Amino acid sequence: MIDKTCLKVEIAGIKLKNPVMTASGTFGYGQEYVPFVDLNRLGAMILKGITLKPKMGNPPPRIIETPSGMLNAIGLQNVGVEMLIREKLPYLQKFNTPVIINISGDTIEEYVELAERLGEVSKEMGVTGLEVNISCPNVKKRGMVWGTDAKATYEIINSIRKTTSLPLIVKLTPNVTNIKTIAQAAEEAGADALSLINTLVGMTVDIDSRKPKLANISGGLSGPAVKPVALWLVWQVFQTVNIPVIGIGGIIKVEDALEFIIAGARAIEIGTANFVNPRVTIEIIEGIEKYLIENNIKDINELVGSMKI
Amino acid sequence: MSAILNIKVKILSGKEVVPNIYLMRLKAPEITQDALSGQFIHIKCSKDNYPLLRRPFSIHRIDKEKGEIFILFQVVGEGTKLLAQRVVGDDLDIMGPIGNGFNIYPESRKIMIVGGGIGVAPLLALCEESIRQGKEVRVLISALKKELVIGEESFRNLGAKVDVATDDGSYQHKGLVTDLLEGSIREGWLANQIFACGPKSMLKKIVEISLDAHIDCQVSLEERMACGIGACLGCVCKIKTKDKKEDKVKYEFKKVCEDGPIFGGSEVVWDD
Repeated sequence: MIDKTCLKVEIAGIKLKNPVMTASGTFGYGQEYVPFVDLNRLGAMILKGITLKPKMGNPPPRIIETPSGMLNAIGLQNVGVEMLIREKLPYLQKFNTPVIINISGDTIEEYVELAERLGEVSKEMGVTGLEVNISCPNVKKRGMVWGTDAKATYEIINSIRKTTSLPLIVKLTPNVTNIKTIAQAAEEAGADALSLINTLVGMTVDIDSRKPKLANISGGLSGPAVKPVALWLVWQVFQTVNIPVIGIGGIIKVEDALEFIIAGARAIEIGTANFVNPRVTIEIIEGIEKYLIENNIKDINELVGSMKI
Repeated sequence: MSAILNIKVKILSGKEVVPNIYLMRLKAPEITQDALSGQFIHIKCSKDNYPLLRRPFSIHRIDKEKGEIFILFQVVGEGTKLLAQRVVGDDLDIMGPIGNGFNIYPESRKIMIVGGGIGVAPLLALCEESIRQGKEVRVLISALKKELVIGEESFRNLGAKVDVATDDGSYQHKGLVTDLLEGSIREGWLANQIFACGPKSMLKKIVEISLDAHIDCQVSLEERMACGIGACLGCVCKIKTKDKKEDKVKYEFKKVCEDGPIFGGSEVVWDD
């Protein structure tokens, strides 16, 4: 048996110590998890989605637990890009983990302006890459619309690509009829990597009041309940594109992460599980290493997309 | 504020104190050291991942000497049902202490504590701390009926004067706990601070009464919660913003877990 293995992967030109990243919206701005996690050990940190101006978010109730999952309708509440730069990013300077900023907007111009602004400060503030959210189901205006149409996906990613040289990860929605065409459009428009899946749109009803349980009526479903859907879509996209795929969806233990990697994900993002077990990222990193050693795999890249059919 | 810990603690005892309401005692010296009344702990009720999310519980009592904390909870869903079934000696995965805690002003001499139903949960620790600081404390509690009155003896044993309101009149005052509060003010017992926890309709009324009587009021709020550490932004409530340039009430969303769970009563925007 080997006694050492290599966990390093490269995503969109970003070198990661290991394939474990934090999913946007589930890890705050990083600092919140410092009591539980040595941030230096993470593959990368993706912070809470940011918009040009601060966003208030949706009224409560914003979250409801569902069988093996949860629905959320936070509505992208965030401090806005300027406060992110001023108050959140400086703290992360002392860690050597790549910081990736998840960006959202209502118009192409807003995405472009955000990418420009973050590009300006990228060296000084340690912004390593951007994850473009074209798939948020919980905001009124465009939100998910970009990510459900191949032409719109191409248009927006192409515009951002022309603006910035920062590595671009495009986060895809599962709420589409054919994810392959969207994935291809993003790749053709210049995406360096794809991350999937964002949440599935869902709803719950209170039978006593006959009102929806979420104030926003609908929300995004996440957690173990969505994992099989996510795995299937990751596998589909992995076969379709030539850029790296990042798997997201219901990963709560090491076996889940390994499933995604075998199905084609070069890295994974951990989301909802952070709420249940704040140390889950570290436990999964350790678990992946143990699996590789036990299975005589010298380099994690050998495992990526190794599913036998 | 002290750091939030994620630790495993032993269940020392658990019993159903009134129908469907449980008192659980936990060995948690790491938590009692810094815990404040009004703070809560975030408990993983299940041993596996179903139900998935943790559940927040107010700290009912803090015994610093023995290193023990108590929680008092009502079984309302799958999480609390599983928690009630956990047995003595079990390890419980908890995060805490979380939140800001009640703010008892040094200059306050008289304290009024009002709890509705399971809302008494965070108030016993508050009562104990107030009395430890030498305050005169009165407690008003409400329940649907006599069998569901919680904590009356515990508050009295600490040295507080306790009055009870029941919806059906099966014990003491028939009616609302807010009737008792108005009555005490009419009789001239004016507290320097009112602390309250319970249903939103009750809290709203208490805040109105406190504003009329010019008494400072703090309320403990709850909301559906996921992470408990300020990351997910799930547990927000509407809090008035300081800027009062316009006539319209302006508000922002504050996190119950990190900015609360205790808020100034006059800051809260109560939705109808």
